[in-house]
Amino acid sequence: MAPHAKWRSASWQAWILSLLWLGHGLWAMSGRWPGLGLVKALNYISGPMLKLSAKWEARREARSQQIYDLGTAEKEIAQLKARVGLFEMQEVREGPRRAEAEEAIRLLGLKQQMPLETKAARVIANTRSAPFGGLVIDQGTEAGLQPDQGVIAPAGVVGRIWNAGQRQASVLPLDAYNASTGVMLARSRATGVLQGTGPGKAEIRYISSQEGVQAGEAVYTSGLDRIFPRGLLVGYVSHVRPRDAELKVEVALSAPLDRLSVVLVLPSKPPIEVSPPAGSGKGQP
Amino acid sequence: MSARPAPAVVRPSLVSLVALVAIFLSAPWPPLQAVFHVALVLGLAPLETVPLLAGLWAVAAGWVMEGTLRMVPHPGGAAWADLTLALTVLFFNRFWPPDRRLIWWGRLAGFTLLHALLLHLAVALASGPHPWGRGWLWALLTSPLWAMLAWRLKPTTHPR
Repeated sequence: MAPHAKWRSASWQAWILSLLWLGHGLWAMSGRWPGLGLVKALNYISGPMLKLSAKWEARREARSQQIYDLGTAEKEIAQLKARVGLFEMQEVREGPRRAEAEEAIRLLGLKQQMPLETKAARVIANTRSAPFGGLVIDQGTEAGLQPDQGVIAPAGVVGRIWNAGQRQASVLPLDAYNASTGVMLARSRATGVLQGTGPGKAEIRYISSQEGVQAGEAVYTSGLDRIFPRGLLVGYVSHVRPRDAELKVEVALSAPLDRLSVVLVLPSKPPIEVSPPAGSGKGQP
Repeated sequence: MSARPAPAVVRPSLVSLVALVAIFLSAPWPPLQAVFHVALVLGLAPLETVPLLAGLWAVAAGWVMEGTLRMVPHPGGAAWADLTLALTVLFFNRFWPPDRRLIWWGRLAGFTLLHALLLHLAVALASGPHPWGRGWLWALLTSPLWAMLAWRLKPTTHPR
């Protein structure tokens, strides 16, 4: 192929070179005369692409920020979960101690309001579910305890000391079948003997059928048994029905016998009448 | 036709590449940079058998030189002048190839002066007033060297 023909055949190269030359020329002219508007024209031409790329960059940045925020949030959530788990574990661990502390605070209030010399004791065992079972407290004869001393809690009467060892004593709760306590009804003023019938329950004996006893009526100690002074809350009448010449009065005990942790031990043979405390352990008969 | 063997087709490209690197590296010495610059634009780039390659070598020489100077506010004028002169020399080499070294050298020396004028005119248009320097004089004085180098690299298939 002749050089002339080869030169002509490469017309595309001529076009490219022409564009290259023309572009460079216009570019050089635009430096001297900015009024030519070449730069403006180039900016106008590339404007849509610049806007598109700016949007794309903004979207990428926003997405990366979202991913970063999400990752940070996930880390924070994981940390918070760990802390919540720790707090829950502490709550489980501290719960019984806190409940015992709250009960001790209430007991301390009751002790301060009781006009009797009482002794505080911790419940170290609860064998009420066993036959002839009861409560075991951590005070005994060394602390001056002896059988037939009354045991109360902020919520109500618990029972009496059945047997006292050197450093611990067993308590016969009110709901034991062999437990008897002198009680009286708040409204009718009728007195009787409370005998245990089962867990958390007891019934009052020797109430005449002539007495008007209603369910929901409060039951207090009568003081006649010389174990408890008059007016300590025992429970509430849950059911009343006639039986022969007397009423069968079922009582729901107010003291939570299965959840006790601390109790107060009353002195031996307390006076029948004492000024009533304002706490829950002492009612208004 | 010359009796010596035709040089390899790629040899001018390799030497052009060396010259381009030399332009970049000789920036601290403007006279020397001017010699490499003119040698590439007028002597080596037009030896390419593909015109587009010749134009690209010339444009690259202009941009590299102005880029290393870092003195002009609006570069591009040198590349435009280089492209113009390289294509002109290419055109002359194609259609009126010299058959003697003296003619070859004389023509390149003339193009050196023309290149200096056009280069400074384009740079003045693009960037405004600027110092001329004496690079053009060094390029003219060393034209026998690079012109003869180009003569030796010149393909023999060019028409007379």
